[in-house]
Amino acid sequence: MSITRRAFIKSMAIHSAVVAASAMFPDISFGAWKEKDIPSGGIHWNKAPCRFCGTGCGLLIGVSGDRAVAVKGDPNCSVNKGLCCVKGYHSIQILYGKDRVRKALVRKNGKMVEVPLTEALDLVAEKMQETIKSHGKDAVSMYGSGQWTIPDGYAASKLFKGCIGTNNVEANARLCMASAVTGFLTSFGLDEPMGCYEDIDNADVFITWGNNMAEMHPVLFSRMLANRKSKGHVKIIDFATRTSRSSQAADKSILFKPQTDLAVANAICYEIIRNNWVNWDFVNKHVSFHKGKTNIGYGTEDHFKFKDKPETVDFNQYKAFLKDYTPELVEKMSGVSAKDIKYMASLYGNPDKKVTSFWTMGMNQHTRGTWINNLVYNIHLLVGKISTPGNSPFSLTGQPSACGTVREVGTLTHKLPHGVVMKEKARKMAAEIWQVPVENIDPKPTYHTVEMFRALDRGDIMFMWIQVTNPMVTMPNLKRYRDGSLKGGRFIVVSEIYPTPTYDIADVVLPSAMWIEREGFFGNSERRTQHWDQMVPPPGDAMCNTWQLIEVARRMGYNKQFSWSRETYIQDIWNEYTRFHDNPKHRMAPYTVLKERSGVQWPFVDGMETRWRYNAEYDPAAKSEDFHFYGKPDNRAWIWLRPYEPAAESPDSEYPFWLNTGRVLEHWHTGSMTRRVPILHRAVPEAYVEINPDDAAQMGITNGSKVKIISRRGSIVMKASINGRGNPPKGMVFVPFFDESYLINEVTLDAFCPISKQPDYKKCAVRLERA
Amino acid sequence: MRGEIGESVMEMSDQKIGKLFLIFAGICVIALPFVVLSALSYEPKEIEAAQMEAQNRDFDQNGNAVFENYDQISKDYLAGTSTERTLNEYYSRRQYLGSPPYIPHKVETKIECLACHAKGGWTQELKRNTPLTPHPEQIYCMQCHVEMTADSLFVANNWVRFPPPRLGKSHLPGAPPPIPHDLQMRGNCIACHVGPGAVTSIRVEHASRGNCRQCHVPELATGLFRR
Amino acid sequence: MPVFSYLAYPVKGAKKKLLNDLSALDHCEVMPAKNKEVLILVTDTPNEKKEEELQNKLKELKSLQSLGMTFGHGDV
Repeated sequence: MSITRRAFIKSMAIHSAVVAASAMFPDISFGAWKEKDIPSGGIHWNKAPCRFCGTGCGLLIGVSGDRAVAVKGDPNCSVNKGLCCVKGYHSIQILYGKDRVRKALVRKNGKMVEVPLTEALDLVAEKMQETIKSHGKDAVSMYGSGQWTIPDGYAASKLFKGCIGTNNVEANARLCMASAVTGFLTSFGLDEPMGCYEDIDNADVFITWGNNMAEMHPVLFSRMLANRKSKGHVKIIDFATRTSRSSQAADKSILFKPQTDLAVANAICYEIIRNNWVNWDFVNKHVSFHKGKTNIGYGTEDHFKFKDKPETVDFNQYKAFLKDYTPELVEKMSGVSAKDIKYMASLYGNPDKKVTSFWTMGMNQHTRGTWINNLVYNIHLLVGKISTPGNSPFSLTGQPSACGTVREVGTLTHKLPHGVVMKEKARKMAAEIWQVPVENIDPKPTYHTVEMFRALDRGDIMFMWIQVTNPMVTMPNLKRYRDGSLKGGRFIVVSEIYPTPTYDIADVVLPSAMWIEREGFFGNSERRTQHWDQMVPPPGDAMCNTWQLIEVARRMGYNKQFSWSRETYIQDIWNEYTRFHDNPKHRMAPYTVLKERSGVQWPFVDGMETRWRYNAEYDPAAKSEDFHFYGKPDNRAWIWLRPYEPAAESPDSEYPFWLNTGRVLEHWHTGSMTRRVPILHRAVPEAYVEINPDDAAQMGITNGSKVKIISRRGSIVMKASINGRGNPPKGMVFVPFFDESYLINEVTLDAFCPISKQPDYKKCAVRLERA
Repeated sequence: MRGEIGESVMEMSDQKIGKLFLIFAGICVIALPFVVLSALSYEPKEIEAAQMEAQNRDFDQNGNAVFENYDQISKDYLAGTSTERTLNEYYSRRQYLGSPPYIPHKVETKIECLACHAKGGWTQELKRNTPLTPHPEQIYCMQCHVEMTADSLFVANNWVRFPPPRLGKSHLPGAPPPIPHDLQMRGNCIACHVGPGAVTSIRVEHASRGNCRQCHVPELATGLFRR
Repeated sequence: MPVFSYLAYPVKGAKKKLLNDLSALDHCEVMPAKNKEVLILVTDTPNEKKEEELQNKLKELKSLQSLGMTFGHGDV
């Protein structure tokens, strides 16, 4: 039992006695002691963004003494307006799992041994220097996370890219948002959505693309339902490969065969043009047409390289390209009836309807993820339904700071906090702010996430520091990468809060302070930066990840670059970091403003948030009478000619089923936090495989019976769920990935989108056996 | 009433409840002839202090839901009583005061929760009175309320509950007690304090009066007024 | 590791004595009321056995008139 918990219980005991005494003697006094020590002068409420998904709900955390004791939705936060989901309401319980990592651990003779934290930090710095000396700077790497706070990611980028001089910095957002990023960059030249959550209150039609929002973004889903309830005419169309809770709540559920969303999106554009629903005024002024390479591969081989070659074309070439995508032809490929395709086109095409499209992993975890992002933008651009309230192609994020830390700070191999390493101007800016010689910053990107783990397996990388993520559950084709990380001479440092499969492979475990045990910032899906203060002390020796990085940087001799004080380092880092974004297209709110409000959207210009970018009415950077797509050199948004190409691996006679993976409402990612919350674990205690009832009947599989799922890479045995909360169509199975006892990623394929390098967790071929 | 503190003590400890009760009984013997503990009236200075800011208008800050609900609910329901639901059970389904309770019964896949929980009444299936939801305008129930399918824990935890407020904390004998909890999501008093689905010890005896907040006011601050 | 709190009532006029007696016991913390004849006693024993021993000692105190339990926690 922890000291702090003991102290809390004792203070409760005292409190109870005082209350009872006061009941007997209303004017009783225990002197100064009474004011000082009673924890409950009450619960003090402090604001924080939720720890889990990318929605970024504002929470009020009730703190009593040194314990978090209650949560309520922050009514002043415009994201959730006081509502949370079951994870958010119970989020504070993630702090109190009995097996919290409290001490540093070092592997000695094969066994993990508790050591003083300073000794562990010494060892990390020493090993890193040793590895650089013997194998070169590109043999050390950092693997971070979209759950990193902004200061964590910033400190990591500065240490690795600025000081050590290697671009070996990646984050798990590569597995989650990379296609969204490349989609934005190729279509608009700047990352992150143009709209905001207010679109939900303004739209007449919602089309969700492979997006089970009821479970993955429940608070936004409820906001959508509230809009439908209050207006009456609002329609929600669930366009997906499997029926889910979202399909049940939608007005219409349309199922398509995996990967054919590419064809359907093109068919919708074909219909829009055929019916002349094109917003010509918008298209002529603000859109240009482009094509890139085709037959671009799947990246399943080591050292895979791809570079797109954009070519400008005109509208007629685009129209001719779409000839292959008539609704009738696409019906045959996709299984979506021509009628339904035309229906969706008519919703997008109707000039009186405001349309918002939502997507997350269905479109991003896709071997043509960049393309499908482009294609949905194409639809919105053709009809000019973009950057105005309610008209919004909206890419949602999965992690609380995938936008804030990974995309904005640029903790990816090719990125810097502003711009890319390939550009001299960006390197110069970074070198100046970081106070390092510009030659330190390598102009060549190194490894994206999958390739980074392949490099670890090959021995090109010998040292990896992993923070706030659990790759030994989440990497596709997992077995190769776990075996690789255990090969001789590899040194793995893991900053963790609980034992996980990634903790198991570590040579050094650093205990981390999490979330409200430290000060930090997240950045959510709608460009909103959210600050919170430290509210409770971390357990044992646990230390904030940012400070761990600072400690190691100082041990490596980078005192000048990491000279911040323990008292103000979060604020100091914010002030330094925001120098990178000091322009009207990306300016961030100052620290004092963020401390006060429950999140502020960037660009924050002249004291105002920007709710709709590229729209001159709302965006001070837009120089035009209506819209200005200033991210691209031609000041236009780009429509791309992107064809349908098949998945990397499709079912065949030997492996006849599609395997789809994902999340459930109650658990978040690999469950290392949510499974330690009693109510969440008890709701969904273990993973299962959803099978279509017809397939199950044919194979004699009953609900709860054991099924073996086999792919070319591996197999697992788990219980069948038939007619559960989700129902895959015939020929598909679905497995949630939260459960470390059932590592579904040993079965998945490490094919990725050649442009974004994001793996496709939604499609590979498997066969089933009764077990 | 005397039992209430004993109950909340039990709420506090997550294990060894039976043993604790024995110790309690033992102590009562030592403590004779003086039996302490009356929760009926005391100064509520130490009770939950909510630093509440102005609430968003999306919430029922003015308590309109009470009036709407009052108009819709039958006199029979308002007058209904039962003793089946205790405060202990009420708290046992919540991790802390104000957290969404879990669903204590089986849920069919395509169930319409509000069919029962919006109007209350006797359910033959569960042989109980259905409690009302205080926020029937929220229609995606399973966003916050989840069914329990296992008893086990993944790992044990060090969670400590903050004690819930005591009952009957009127400032003067006979005066209406203030509201000791947040009203966010729980602004419809009728749902929990009236009718046969309500918890016995917090059910009001004057349900025919609909304007609850005429007499019962939320207690938001803990200090005294200072100039 | 049981934790309890009590209101401790002294026999008439023995508040000071009771304060001293209780403070002398292991695992006990005492806070006297300033203006009333009552004390708060918080006990924090490492195990059941010690708890039992302590309770026996409490029973033997001459200065103690009665104890009223106000809080109990029996966690391991």
